[in-house]
Amino acid sequence: MENRSYTPDQETAEYVKLFIDPQILLDFDTLDLSTFIQLPEPDAKIALLKKGDRLWVNFSDGEYCDFPYYHKNVQTILNGMQYEGPFKTSIAESFDGFIKTTQSIEKKIFSRVSLNPGENVKDLWDEIIKKVNLISNESHSLRSLMEKLLDVPFLQKFESSLIILHLKGQTRAELLGIIWRDEKTQSQIEVKEFNTFFNSIKKSKIKSFSSEAFPKMNLPFNGSFLAKEIMSKKYSMVAVVSRDDFLSYSKDEIELFETCIDLLQPHFERLIDQEFSDKRISELRVCLQDFPLPLRIRDGISGASFMNDLYTGELQDKDIFFNKKVQGPFTIDLYDSDELRHYAFDLFHFQRISLLGELLNTLRHELSNPLFGLKLGSQLFSIMEVNPDSKELMQEIEKNVNRCQVIIENFSNLYQVQTESKPVLIKKIIDESIVLSKSEVRESRKSIVFENDTENLLLDVPLIFVVQILFNLIVNAAQAMKNQPQPREIKLIINSSDQVVTIDVIDNGPGIPQDKVSQLFKPFFTTKTQGTGLGLVLSRNLALKMGGNLEYLVNNGEKGAFFRLTLPKT
Amino acid sequence: MNHILIIEDEILIQQSLKKLFERKGLKVDVSASGKLAIDLILNNHYDRIICDLMLQDISGFDVIEESKKKFSSEEIGKKFVIMTAYNSPQVLSRANAYQCRLLNKPFDDLEQAMRIMTE
Repeated sequence: MENRSYTPDQETAEYVKLFIDPQILLDFDTLDLSTFIQLPEPDAKIALLKKGDRLWVNFSDGEYCDFPYYHKNVQTILNGMQYEGPFKTSIAESFDGFIKTTQSIEKKIFSRVSLNPGENVKDLWDEIIKKVNLISNESHSLRSLMEKLLDVPFLQKFESSLIILHLKGQTRAELLGIIWRDEKTQSQIEVKEFNTFFNSIKKSKIKSFSSEAFPKMNLPFNGSFLAKEIMSKKYSMVAVVSRDDFLSYSKDEIELFETCIDLLQPHFERLIDQEFSDKRISELRVCLQDFPLPLRIRDGISGASFMNDLYTGELQDKDIFFNKKVQGPFTIDLYDSDELRHYAFDLFHFQRISLLGELLNTLRHELSNPLFGLKLGSQLFSIMEVNPDSKELMQEIEKNVNRCQVIIENFSNLYQVQTESKPVLIKKIIDESIVLSKSEVRESRKSIVFENDTENLLLDVPLIFVVQILFNLIVNAAQAMKNQPQPREIKLIINSSDQVVTIDVIDNGPGIPQDKVSQLFKPFFTTKTQGTGLGLVLSRNLALKMGGNLEYLVNNGEKGAFFRLTLPKT
Repeated sequence: MNHILIIEDEILIQQSLKKLFERKGLKVDVSASGKLAIDLILNNHYDRIICDLMLQDISGFDVIEESKKKFSSEEIGKKFVIMTAYNSPQVLSRANAYQCRLLNKPFDDLEQAMRIMTE
């Protein structure tokens, strides 16, 4: 123990003029007084006195406060005084929280623990506070906190220590901790089960339970346990300790356990925050790693870069299409790439499809009523008409109205954005494609060949995807042959092997010039004067999405185009 | 069953139905407006009211609500037949709440639809 004697030239702001009751120095001979100047009581700005079992702090201006008389309190108050500035405020601030906790816990212990008030309780309490503070400072994770909790004096006979934590908004709660004092445990629990558990703990007055009461929680021990719940804005949790036996717990144990968890609450909060943000950072990292475009994040200070999986050394600054300075020294670069084009077109495609779907739906509803009127009118006249020719004419009108209704319904069904697939007959796919492309291919002869009994084969693919690809190929073929003399032919050959089904679309038009074949599936490449150059790109993307492919094949020296759509078999 | 009101704003449908009912010897009034229909309902006696849901001014359900001034819930269920091209679950459950019969437009089978409307 180092004491300083007072001399006038040492009277600077960094030393606090202090009087300490000699009895305190006798009781606690390990106090660190190195930053204090001890003075006789009348000259001191603060006097620490022992009065009965209270520690009094008297200020020279007549104010005072008092605390329970413990070593910990004296030292903490001394530490608080080292702060610069008005020390009364700093004491008040630094101890406000501590005082509240200690006072409420002191109250709890004295009012609820059945031990006789006296040295024993104080000692135990002192010891627990000391230990809890120690373990909370030493713990860097929730699990280590739970592990060290078993070192707290009265908990030393306990074998298991767990928390069950539910972060708000998560679909599962997490159970983690330690069993048999050295075996780590971790599992997940359905939120519903957790809530039931949490509420039982919360409502219970005795806070002592049996694991048999919660079979669905799969608690990793048997027998009785102590539990205490904590609820905050971000999470709800239950702390559990067990001796792994079936004996019930004493009132003291229950009270002390609750006290410990109360004391640890701020530390739970801190560790949960920390572990949750660690988890988020690693999730974010995975997201960036899998980001569907080449991406690089540069640290402007160190020059270090993070590159994701799609980034390759071949990319150059000119490929950067998006660049943003973010918080701190970091810059994000996104690179142009084939992937970008694919995704952009996918997005474009789906927007277009869903808009078309909406338009067609409106159109269907708007047309339904007048069509129904026409139908009813023609039915009425065909009933009233006696002349067989006119009657037949009316019936013909009715038939045509029905056809209009069916067509508009088919179109609006086709353009609904629905990608879920159910097994569909190949024949149906082909039929729908032919019906939709009917007007475009009127002047070409169509032949459809089902090889190997593929006609009745079921495919597990979204019907509209395949119909759209075939529609595209058939219309392309018809348009390519538009200016050539007959015969104009479009052949569809459907075949299957062990793994796949192939649908070949072959025409006898001009075909694709050899030097253009490599560009065929590139966006904006087109041989038509009014084409967008997107049809084949979208078609191939759809095929790939279904686990198939779309290729251009050389047709054994024959002229004409030859596309092959490959689809996986169910 | 001899006096019918048809509330339908698509004139071709309205007039065709009118003729079809008249051929069966029924007396038919028509209205293309919901508000006019309410007046007709309150001031006349109809054995059957065939009501489209999507009218220009108010909805068919509004017409039914207003008719509660004159009819009990039980009578509403018996008198009204609802016609609609939008048979969404909401429409179905509301029609069910009134205990009214519901016909989807367009009719799949004209004869059957006529039976439902006049039985």
